[in-house]
Amino acid sequence: MKLAIEIAERARVVEYAPGATEVLVDGVSIPIEARELRPGVLSLIVAGRAWRVVLEEDATEPAVLIGGERLAYRVDDPRSLKARRAHSGGSDGPKSIKASMPGRVVRVLAAKGESVAAHQGIVVIEAMKMQNELKSPKDGVVAEMRVKPGDTVAAGDVLAVVE
Amino acid sequence: MQEWTGAETGKVWAAGSRGLSVALQWPLPFETQRRVFRKILIANRGEIALRIARACREMGISPVVVYSDADRAALHVLEADEAYRLGPAPAAESYLRGDLLLEIARKSGAEAIHPGYGFLSENADFAEACERAGVKFIGPPAAAMRALGSKTRARQAADRAGMPRTPGSTQGLASLDEAHKVAAEIGYPVMLKAAAGGGGKGMRAVARDEDLKSAFEAAQSEAERAFGSSEVYLEKLIERPRHIEIQVLADEHGHCVYLGERECSVQRRHQKVIEEAPSAVVEPDLRRRMGEAAVRLAQSAGYTNAGTIEFLVDDARNFYFLEMNTRLQVEHPVTELVTGLDLVHLQIQIAQGEPLPLRQEDVQLRGHAMECRVYAEDPDNGFFPSPGKITRLAQPGGPGIREDAGIYEGWVVPMDYDPMLSKLVAYAPTREAAIARLLRALDEYVIGGIRTNLGLFRRILRDADFQAARIDTGYLERLLAEPLPAADGREERERVAAIAAAVFESGRAAAAPAASAETTRAWKRAARAEGLRS
Repeated sequence: MKLAIEIAERARVVEYAPGATEVLVDGVSIPIEARELRPGVLSLIVAGRAWRVVLEEDATEPAVLIGGERLAYRVDDPRSLKARRAHSGGSDGPKSIKASMPGRVVRVLAAKGESVAAHQGIVVIEAMKMQNELKSPKDGVVAEMRVKPGDTVAAGDVLAVVE
Repeated sequence: MQEWTGAETGKVWAAGSRGLSVALQWPLPFETQRRVFRKILIANRGEIALRIARACREMGISPVVVYSDADRAALHVLEADEAYRLGPAPAAESYLRGDLLLEIARKSGAEAIHPGYGFLSENADFAEACERAGVKFIGPPAAAMRALGSKTRARQAADRAGMPRTPGSTQGLASLDEAHKVAAEIGYPVMLKAAAGGGGKGMRAVARDEDLKSAFEAAQSEAERAFGSSEVYLEKLIERPRHIEIQVLADEHGHCVYLGERECSVQRRHQKVIEEAPSAVVEPDLRRRMGEAAVRLAQSAGYTNAGTIEFLVDDARNFYFLEMNTRLQVEHPVTELVTGLDLVHLQIQIAQGEPLPLRQEDVQLRGHAMECRVYAEDPDNGFFPSPGKITRLAQPGGPGIREDAGIYEGWVVPMDYDPMLSKLVAYAPTREAAIARLLRALDEYVIGGIRTNLGLFRRILRDADFQAARIDTGYLERLLAEPLPAADGREERERVAAIAAAVFESGRAAAAPAASAETTRAWKRAARAEGLRS
C-alpha cells in the first residue's frame, strides 16, 4: 500500500506490501527485511543496517522510538479524500484545550461564558508535584468548561472549549 | 545468624563482618545493643524500596513493605515477603503516616524500619517515635538529625567542627535590617536560603542591595509555604561552584570513615541530574581534607549510620560546607561501585550494633562510576511530568551497567509522587570509558508510552564541556539555553522511521477485517493530531 508519511514536517511517499523485501521511498527502491517481534516492536534491516523500532501510540499522536529518538509521524493514505480534508482542517471555529499530560486539575482560571485573550491561562493541572498552566489558543469566549478542581484527566482529554 | 543478644558485651562479633580485619573496642559502651534483625519494614516506595528489599534478602532478612492505593501494583510490593496498605495516594495520608508505619512494624514483628530517602527519612520526630516504640530506626539518632537537619544549626555545628563554610549568618535573620547588615559585611552577590530548606525552595540569589527587600520577603513566604518555617539566612554566593559531597559511615562505637566524594554538579533547578565518583577535580589531598572535615562534623554531632556532607567547591578548589543529608542518598550507587562496598548492607549492620568492618585505610577508590536519574518528564515540553502506562520497556544490561529501577512493562507510573523511574549507572576503569558505557546503555534503553529524559542524557554525555569535566551547578541550564545541536544521522533515522511507520500501518491494514480500516484509522489520527494543534 502507498502511504504519505510525514515526519519532522517532511512528507515521504512510502510503498510497502506486508512481507515484501523492498520498499519504495519517494519512488526509490530500498531492500528491507522487516520482522514484527511482538505487536509494536519491529526488527528492521534496511540495506544491511539493523534497527530496532518501537511503535508508540498515545492519545495525541503516533510515534516511533528509534536510535534513542522519538519521532512523531502523521500518516495519510493518498487515495483518501477524507484524510486530505481532515489534514487541511480549518483554523477558525471552536478550539479545544486538551491535557498534554495526565494529571489532576488544581485550578480553573476562567469560567464558562468568560471572555479570554489568546495565551491567557485557562486551567492548571498538576502531576508529580509540578503544575502546568494551559492557555487559551485564541481570543474568544469559554464555550465549555468540562473540568473542575480535583478532577483527574488523561492525556488528550478535552478540558475546555474556546469559541 | 545470632539471635537478639541485648546488651551483652565482650564476645567477638562475627556474624556481620565482611572479612576485613577490624580493631574492635571492647567492652562495648553500655548503651550499645547488639541485635540481629529478622524483619525490616521498608517505609518507602519505588526503586529505593526495592533496592533495600534486595539488601535485606542478601542478608537473610525478610523485607516488609508498605504501599498506598496508587502503588498496589508497584514493583516493590511484588518483591516483598509481606506488604501492608497504608492509605490513599497522597503522601500525607500514606508514606508520611508515621503512626501507621509503627503499627505495621508491631503487627508484622519487624525489629527495624529503613526509611530510604525522602518521606520520613529526615524526620527527627519519627526517629524518636521509633525509639520509643522499641523499633530500630536505620539512620542517625534523632538528636544528631536535629543538630544537623536545620541548615542554620548545621552551620553552627560546622563552626564548632572547624569546617570551612560560606561566609554569612549562622542563625535565622530576625529582620530585613539584619539582612542588609549581613549582606554588607560579606559583600554581594549573596544567597538567601530557607533554614529548613531543600530542593531549591526558599532560595534567592541577590546581586544588589536594592533587590534584597523583595527577595527576602519572597524567600520567607516561599519557605513558610514549603516547610512551615519562614526562617531564612544569608550566605555569600559562590560563583560557578561545583557540588561535591562526601559520603560518611559511622558506627555506634565511635568509628567513622569517609568513602570518597561524589560530584553532582549537573543539576536543573537545584535537582541533581547526573552524579559521578570520583570527581574529576578532587586530588587525593583535597579528598583527604574534605573527608576529614566531614568525619569531624559527623562525630561532633554524635552521628551514626550513613550520611552525606555536601560542599560547594570554587575555581581555586576551596571547599565550603553546604549542608548535611542525614540519610542514604539517591546517588549512593556510584560510591558503592568505586569502593566495592554495599552501603545498605553496612547501614543495616551498623543499626544492628556491629562495628564498622573497615578502617579508613581500607577504603580504596577504583575506577569511575556515573549515574543518570531517569525521570518520567518531557524535556521537549518544559520538563513537565509524564506519568502514565509504560507500554514498552527494554532495560539495558551487559558489562559495567547497573540499573536500580522500580518499573516494569505495563505498569502505570502514578501521578502522585516523584517522577524518578530508575537510576542508570555505569562503571568503568576511567571517566571516558564510563561515559561511553552509559551512552551505549542509553541506546539499549527503551521506555515507551510515557516521555522520559533519556534523550537529555545523550545530549549531555556527548557535550564537549561535560566530557572535559568543565562543569558547575549552572552548567546544565546554560547547555539547555543553547540551540539543540544537529544530531548525526538524523536524516537516515527519519527515513528509516518513515519505513517503519509504513510497515506498522500496512501490517495493521492487512490484519484489519474491513477494507477501509486503514483509511478510517488514518483519518482518525489526522483528526486527532489536528485537534491537538488547534
